[in-house]
Amino acid sequence: MEVKLRVRRYDPEGDRKPYTQEYAVEMPDSATVLDSLIQVREEVDETLGLRCSCRSSICGSCAMRINGRARLACKTKVVAVAPNGGTVNVEPAGNMPVLKDLIVDFEVFWEKIKAVVPWLRPEGPEPEREYIVDNDKMLNLNTTVACIMCGACVSDCTSLEVDPGFLGPAALAKAYRFVGDPRDGHKLDRLKQYTEAHGMWDCAHCFMCVEVCPKDVAPMDWILELRREAEAEGFTNHNGVRHGRSIAESVKEAGWLDEGKVAMESMGSIGEKLALVPVGMRAFFRGKMPPMGPMHYQRPGAESVRRIFEELEAKE
Amino acid sequence: MVYEHDVLVIGAGLAGLRAAIEATRKGVDVAVLTKVHPVRSHTNAAQGGINAALNEGDSWESHAYDTVKGSDFLGDQDAIEVLCQEAPGEIIELEHMGVVFNRDENGRLGSRAFGGASQARTYFVADFTGQALLHTAYEQSLKYQIRTYSEFFATSLIMEDGACKGCIALELRTGKLHVVKAKAVILATGGVGRAFEPSTNALICTGDGMALAYGGGAPLMDMEMIQYHPTTIKSNGALITEAARGEGAYLINSLGERFMAKYAPNMMELASRDVVSRAEQTEINEGRGVDGCVLLDLRHLGERVISTKLSQVRDLAIDFANVDMVKDPVPIRPGMHYIMGGIKTDITAKTQVAGIYAAGETACVSLHGGNRLGANSLLELVVFGRRAGESAAAYATSSRHARGGESLAEKDAQHIKQLTGAKTKGEMAGPLRLELGKTMNEFCGVYRTEDGLKTALDRVVKLRERYKGITVQDKGSAFNTNLTAALELGNMLDVAEVICRAALFRRESRGAHTRLDFPTRDDENWLKHTLVYKTDGEPRLDTAPVTITRWQPVERKY
Amino acid sequence: MKYAFYPGCVAKGGAPELYMSTRAVAEALDIQLEELEGAACTGAGVLSERNPELADTLNARTFAMAERLGLPLMNICSTCHGVMSQSNARLRKDPEYLERINKRLAPERLHYSGEVSIKHFLWVMMEDIGLDKVRSLVVNPLGDLKAAPFYGCYIVRPTWVLGYDEKPERKHYLEDLIEALGAQSVEYQGVDKCCGFPILTMNRENSLRMTGTHLLDAKTQGADMMVTPCPLCHLNLDGGQVDAAGVVKANLELPVLHLPQMVGMAFGMKPERLGLKKNIVNTQPVLKKAGFA
Repeated sequence: MEVKLRVRRYDPEGDRKPYTQEYAVEMPDSATVLDSLIQVREEVDETLGLRCSCRSSICGSCAMRINGRARLACKTKVVAVAPNGGTVNVEPAGNMPVLKDLIVDFEVFWEKIKAVVPWLRPEGPEPEREYIVDNDKMLNLNTTVACIMCGACVSDCTSLEVDPGFLGPAALAKAYRFVGDPRDGHKLDRLKQYTEAHGMWDCAHCFMCVEVCPKDVAPMDWILELRREAEAEGFTNHNGVRHGRSIAESVKEAGWLDEGKVAMESMGSIGEKLALVPVGMRAFFRGKMPPMGPMHYQRPGAESVRRIFEELEAKE
Repeated sequence: MVYEHDVLVIGAGLAGLRAAIEATRKGVDVAVLTKVHPVRSHTNAAQGGINAALNEGDSWESHAYDTVKGSDFLGDQDAIEVLCQEAPGEIIELEHMGVVFNRDENGRLGSRAFGGASQARTYFVADFTGQALLHTAYEQSLKYQIRTYSEFFATSLIMEDGACKGCIALELRTGKLHVVKAKAVILATGGVGRAFEPSTNALICTGDGMALAYGGGAPLMDMEMIQYHPTTIKSNGALITEAARGEGAYLINSLGERFMAKYAPNMMELASRDVVSRAEQTEINEGRGVDGCVLLDLRHLGERVISTKLSQVRDLAIDFANVDMVKDPVPIRPGMHYIMGGIKTDITAKTQVAGIYAAGETACVSLHGGNRLGANSLLELVVFGRRAGESAAAYATSSRHARGGESLAEKDAQHIKQLTGAKTKGEMAGPLRLELGKTMNEFCGVYRTEDGLKTALDRVVKLRERYKGITVQDKGSAFNTNLTAALELGNMLDVAEVICRAALFRRESRGAHTRLDFPTRDDENWLKHTLVYKTDGEPRLDTAPVTITRWQPVERKY
Repeated sequence: MKYAFYPGCVAKGGAPELYMSTRAVAEALDIQLEELEGAACTGAGVLSERNPELADTLNARTFAMAERLGLPLMNICSTCHGVMSQSNARLRKDPEYLERINKRLAPERLHYSGEVSIKHFLWVMMEDIGLDKVRSLVVNPLGDLKAAPFYGCYIVRPTWVLGYDEKPERKHYLEDLIEALGAQSVEYQGVDKCCGFPILTMNRENSLRMTGTHLLDAKTQGADMMVTPCPLCHLNLDGGQVDAAGVVKANLELPVLHLPQMVGMAFGMKPERLGLKKNIVNTQPVLKKAGFA
């Protein structure tokens, strides 16, 4: 079949801004986008720059944006992204500076990984043989260990787009790998570090990383697990914790959200609470203040909701 | 720029990183130089596990004998003893570094069965053990703050007075050449799979270190020993781990028979890889294949086992063979996978050239002789990676730097200028490599003949001539992958020629080397290693004895 | 057509205009809505993060209520839809889990079989009613309007929970509907990205920067309004727009409509009935272009 590619290119030594170039190559029906790009590079245009190595989704080299979404080129069949023979758009991964064509500066990524102290830090004397650990605890880590550091999640993370300082999904998933490892002796230090600015609470839980990860790591799920662990270990002086608790209390109390109360209770400082006043005022003048406090009525069946809460909270 | 270090490790797979960590622990200044970021190394692709005689009731002697037998008695038994004696300690070391090994019901390291092993002694992390080990080693390199020149391509070794004193390296990001001086160099650049087409190997496996050492005067040993892995996917050569068979998968032919009963009635699907590959190839050649493949059947294992222990290969089969192994058997065939041969080293990882050490697939100690057992490769990386680090560190304390500075890079600069500067368009590297790959696969595969090998050699030599006329179309400096592909092709052609010559030299069949014109093993004449040395003219062939400590060669049956 | 109607929390609280316009448009489409008044909040994603089983129990209870009525479930919020779909996927995957949860519903004599249909109003219009019927009710084609669709994360990801493999056309329902109403759909980067609402309390600056960035993007591409099927997104895009403009340092002033408000305009309904005076960012420019002077 004919594979048509529209590749976003950039030559750091030229004076052109990024531009697009179109290619067409003849490939077998089962070809991947990577197969096609390699064919272009070997037979059509040797100047095309891209990183690739294993061709079987384990080395993580070939993450790039295909039709606007980060994917591994070697794992993307052409027929899946261009079912009717259309042109496949290929761009470099996002959220990282472009060095040449599809090659991005991965230093951004490695800096974030390094920032979470990504090596096991056991405390106390080393046992002569292996540490004794429950297999369930090891299997629990398999998901985050399976991360191949391809950068697809970082490329498309919506929080990173607006805040380059955010640790990001890959680093936080790696952070969980250590928090969840019973052999690591620094769980509390780690949770404290990751609770701070640019850490776990900056994730907008938009599912983007879950969607794009080629190895089903679902970084967001582990960020949420970090949040649960942090709260359980007492790192509760954070709007994120206050917000979660307030929502839970609201629903437990009345079966639905008391928006105004939740907004107020989520904010830890007077300044933040005061900043809500103009927002509330605007709503008030439009006649759409949500029923707050004593005006917040109980939904029918609220006592059953309360019972369900009590049952499940007892299990925690 | 000119850089100076005590020990320079070229290659950042598990062997290279383990060597670097050990040398660092010995207190010398270490740098790692690698053409891809460490976590992109091909160690990632090892799926099944790492062997050690850790279980109660197991013994290093048993592990060693399995390895010796697996090697078809070509392995050096002193080296194999070291490998198996040190294995348990290395596994514990890895576990202490943080590897999330699978556990048994008592929380201890859990093992599984693997090919050619008389008992279950393979330790694993689901079906991505290589990746788990590599990433842990990378994390440790961060912990030890080991200087890493990432995306630097070693273009040549610095040789002075017959000793190696570092390398010249092309910084891929800028196209600049650097002089990296070192008192000792460890080559851990992996195998040469890209000289074969198809192959399970990554695009980066181009025999760079082997070519560098060969050019520096070190002989390459047992290069005819090429392992074809029994279960590779037809469309792209991707590997399905032996662990699938370890968990109980069957191999079936077009008649629905578990054909291994004819070839290895005891071990069946878990016979050594060369035996299984030959069996499959025979079934295919004799018309009992399915579309050039045989079938790997895992349906009886059930979804739970497959999704917990074999999740990665299930995805691979879905992506690249269009089959969900829970529901259907997977068509597979033998594919070029590993080279047992390599740069000759002793058991301290030292080569015959002063200052050059080697470990991993690049080296040949020889641990694997004529055939490597599954899960012994990851083991080799850590045991001999560590030894290389130790040896190189010790040597470096008594050695000194090369003389000279920037000018040491002059020769390579000229070569690159010549490749990129050509005005007229010559041949392209890509198609030439494809020709090389097809030639090697056709004539140096599972079954070989003298005529075939001669044809291969002839074609390789002709390709080397044509190589002299290739041009690099990309004239840029930044990330010129066109240029590196050309340099890699040069390395592959050197190594491919050695492979052909070694295969012609060994007139017997042993391990993975099966010659239809010399179909039996000939211990009287050929219980020895082949060596190939570079000369100004035709390469010089030689042999070396096999070290036998306690196991006399016997007939090899599974 | 009859549906068990789940309005969520915000439509009954801070976004009454969504509730009003939903009722109006449903009536025009001949949809009977049986409101599940006792149904609890889905947890908005926050409860499922803290305690997935708790959220799944509350949602199973809601599904059971719909089942008791023998009706498919309709919601009007991307977040509710996403959370419900995820809960439903977990409940359907593990029969033991479902049974354990059903035990907690037993005192109310509720039981969830795992078979309820859950659709957002957008999907109901596109799949159950059909564009032909919708088009037939358009008496006031919105030809002068350029509308930027903003889906809201939870109705677009993860794709495998939301049926995108079986129905890939769901990816462009908003654009299709906008065009069926006679308006022009604007193409821009932020269409399926995050509005920032979930982190409004944790990192206000990031949250509003997301809001501001996507609004600015839409405006730059020529939009004169934005339309969203998620009231939580609406809270940031509309309620937070003034503050967002400050963060991205740009003039925004882009009216943001709830989905039924836009549909209602095309059906010729009065702005008051659709609550169009309640949106924080003045909708007057949009009303003018839509022919409501």
